[in-house]
Amino acid sequence: MADTLPGELSKVDPESAWRAWQPAAGAFNRKWAAHLFRRAAFGASEPRLQQALKDGPAKTIDALMVGEPDAADRLELLTETGRYYSDPASLRTWWLYAMLEGGHPLREKLALFWHNHFATSYAKVRSTKLMFEQNVTIRKHALGTFPAFLLEMSKDPAMLVWLDSNRNVKGVPNENFAREVMELFSLGVGNYTEKDIQEAARALTGWHHDVEVSAFEFNRELHDDGTKTVFGKSGKFTGDDVVKLCCEHPACAPFLVGKLYAFLVSETPPPKALLAPLAEQYRKSGYDTSALVRTMLSSRLFFSEHAYRKRVKWPVECALGAIQTASPDRVPLGDVVEPLSKMGQALFAPPNVKGWRTGTDWLNSATLLARNNFTEKVALGDWSRGPRARPNGRTFAFVGDSIKPPSEGPKGDTPSAPPPDAKFDVCALVYATNPKTVGDVVKRMGELLYGDAIPPAVAKKVETFLLTPQPDGPRVPPNPKGPGGPPPGAGFDTAPGAPPPPKDAPPPKPKGPEPKRVPPKALDPKDVKLDDAAFKARVREAVHAMMCLPEYQLG
Amino acid sequence: MANRRDFLKTTLGASSLMAVGGVVPEFLANTASAADKADKKKDTVLVVVELTGGNDGLNTVAPYGDDLYQKARPTLAFTKKEVLRLDDYHGLHPRMNGFKQLYESKQLAVIQGVGYPNPDRSHFESMDIWQLADPKRATTGGWLARAIPGMTVRDAGVPGMYLGDERLPVAMQGADGGVISLADRASFRLQLNGNQTGRKSLIEQLNTGKDDGADLTAFVRKRQLQTYTSLQMIEEALQGTGGNGGGRQEFVNGRFVTRDPDDLQSLGGKLNLIGRLIQKGLGTRLYYAQLGGFDTHSRQADNHADLLGNVSNSIQNMLSQLGEHAERVCVMTYSEFGRRVRENGSRGTDHGSGSCMFLAGAKVAGGLVGKHPSLSDLTDGDIKYHTDFRRVYASVLDTWLGVDSKTVLGEAFEKLPLFDMKKKAERVPQGGPGDGPIPVPDAPLPVPVKD
Repeated sequence: MADTLPGELSKVDPESAWRAWQPAAGAFNRKWAAHLFRRAAFGASEPRLQQALKDGPAKTIDALMVGEPDAADRLELLTETGRYYSDPASLRTWWLYAMLEGGHPLREKLALFWHNHFATSYAKVRSTKLMFEQNVTIRKHALGTFPAFLLEMSKDPAMLVWLDSNRNVKGVPNENFAREVMELFSLGVGNYTEKDIQEAARALTGWHHDVEVSAFEFNRELHDDGTKTVFGKSGKFTGDDVVKLCCEHPACAPFLVGKLYAFLVSETPPPKALLAPLAEQYRKSGYDTSALVRTMLSSRLFFSEHAYRKRVKWPVECALGAIQTASPDRVPLGDVVEPLSKMGQALFAPPNVKGWRTGTDWLNSATLLARNNFTEKVALGDWSRGPRARPNGRTFAFVGDSIKPPSEGPKGDTPSAPPPDAKFDVCALVYATNPKTVGDVVKRMGELLYGDAIPPAVAKKVETFLLTPQPDGPRVPPNPKGPGGPPPGAGFDTAPGAPPPPKDAPPPKPKGPEPKRVPPKALDPKDVKLDDAAFKARVREAVHAMMCLPEYQLG
Repeated sequence: MANRRDFLKTTLGASSLMAVGGVVPEFLANTASAADKADKKKDTVLVVVELTGGNDGLNTVAPYGDDLYQKARPTLAFTKKEVLRLDDYHGLHPRMNGFKQLYESKQLAVIQGVGYPNPDRSHFESMDIWQLADPKRATTGGWLARAIPGMTVRDAGVPGMYLGDERLPVAMQGADGGVISLADRASFRLQLNGNQTGRKSLIEQLNTGKDDGADLTAFVRKRQLQTYTSLQMIEEALQGTGGNGGGRQEFVNGRFVTRDPDDLQSLGGKLNLIGRLIQKGLGTRLYYAQLGGFDTHSRQADNHADLLGNVSNSIQNMLSQLGEHAERVCVMTYSEFGRRVRENGSRGTDHGSGSCMFLAGAKVAGGLVGKHPSLSDLTDGDIKYHTDFRRVYASVLDTWLGVDSKTVLGEAFEKLPLFDMKKKAERVPQGGPGDGPIPVPDAPLPVPVKD
């Protein structure tokens, strides 16, 4: 443990938990630097990680809070380009690009958090323009103050469309927005009454958007200007008052702090008292999100086992993290859009206004498989190669259309996958430290993927795999529809062509018509050349296997 | 099924996952050993169809004979001429031809006035209540998940399957390995370019480890193993089935997809696949699918018509093609709440309470169950429910699934006469004349496998 906090969360003193961590020399190591970047960014490239190790946590967090020196210029350019995309896939790629190349990953990380908080979907809004503009608003307030944010989101055209605000008129109120502003955006269930919602809906009547110009408008004629009673206070309330009343409500700060805690620190439900100082700080600071985030990220609790791998990575974190750690160069991000949907997180399209169900809910058989399959793509450097050269250097002409036909899946064993384009080859990163032995290679792989050392038992298995030459020819019949059953002993043979067991024939026996296979033997480490192409192919495959470890799904 | 044992051997028996002891999800070990003992009579299947968003019960089973209905809904009410008449008072939505035919062949139970005390009008809260089967929401784990431990499942099947690409519904959460999700066929395949065998074995080895309790890592490990095991089973169940893609591009659930008859993006596609899996002899007994879009706050008429047409025809289509398996299958629909009696100013309806449920299947005791709630005696503008939804669940659990409802629901509920287990199966009518054509089904079911 990096810091000495009690092993039981309930025994941790709330005041001291949130004090800034003062690491002893060397305590801020690769493990904790990688931890910080998994939470405060989307992972880190190797050079960035090395820089952080030199700088220490305080200076690194300072830099994360403000972004790169040219972040403002990049933001301007990004905002200029983003408005031109007219299909959701491009807009998604654009945001992924902003996350990796926008120069301010913490801001983008918080924007992702708020996108889930104010979950709005293109599926109903049906306008990339409005979704883009909402994204700009979210980005503007991501590290700002909450009351101004909530007010602007309440007038955001995409939100107004999403929650039927144009239907909310004097005499026949539509309660959709009034309900969600309390239930999901500021207070949480149990902190308001049905009556509060009905009254707040009256106050919000006339908050419409002008369909022609896609902008907020206050429709005075359809506004109910009578007296309303919300949270026991009465007055001729307007929408502005509703936002203000929600932010003044004592449940507001604890609700938001609890959500941010789960996002940045840990998904283990904390004792109430643990978050009390943070809620207090947040409320007193006028809901200064930036200060709150800094307190969380700098804290002793954050750099402790109470936070370490105590979250399930969101799909976006999983995908971008894999790319940053295992791809030497930027990849065509258009290729990431579809896998993200399969992992359960299509940006700009959360399932409903409550947002994505996070935590262990991210992982089911389908989404976990999608994660395993995406990391294979990263480990093998299997990216689309368009006719257009990928831009190099800091340019924003980027949205890469995936022109590669969809992968048809494995056809059975092939001697080895063709080596990827050098700039996508994880071997470049593995070999950067000039490993001399197979053991060095494995150690380096563990460092890259996990920040800290991998358990010896795991290292041993990976080493054996690397030392074992793979067969030159296919092991299963090349014809996917051919005869014969799945190879006996195969744990989860999922080749698409794995033929069904013959209906009338007895189940395949180990000594059936197939030649008996002798498992290949591991070579002596002396006989292995590290720069051999076949060995490097095994390194890539081992990287994939290591990305299928349970720990890899935890951030 | 003559090849049940073979199926078991080739899926689980040959799997080295079976050899790693403690890490194999317990349901697999249990079901594998119990497979041959499975009693065919307890082989019933429940297909739950969630109508997400709050289905307007009043325009689903319309009290067209009531003047109050016509008055409360100046633009939305259906007239005597429009409804599919059930009797002098009740009529189905005009687009529910499929259900009308099921009703006439006594295979559709229409359960009226279903709800629970102190109804919650938040989508999420109310959905949780229905899925937890607990208005206090004190329970953890959904009602279907809680039913799984008490169920027998043959062929080492996965007890429950969710078809969809969203998170697992609350109803199926907490089954601890008893439920898998199927998002689309292509997604259910592990990509291993290059050397498959060695890497597969390495991944498998890296994921075996001591079952170290309830921490997150142990949870993920269990999920990984469960995923790999189900992969093979489903892949085999899917062998030889499937149609050709239509190639149509549509925007579904936030992304563009190419339509395939069994692409699992449409309710019809999901139900067709469920039908095929049932015919294939997959042991799964609980299937769960959703159809969203019922939150009709504005301009309800057209959307609602399309949705109900889809529900009614997809369900009827699936049931009509099950062949000899039809008598094992029952479909249940529900929604988190109904809608206000009065329509709002946007030709839509706001969140209400009390609604109707449907049960469809060969062994269902067809007909109207319970009276239509009064339209003159309202609470906050909503109809008053008279049947707790847990009475429906209790009947389904005890009578249909053979699971003790008291254990699952925590208390005993009076059962409803929803099933006639001695009834001889009647062929589900297929299409036929109606007020409108039944859309062409997404894909034909294959001829049942001959044993």
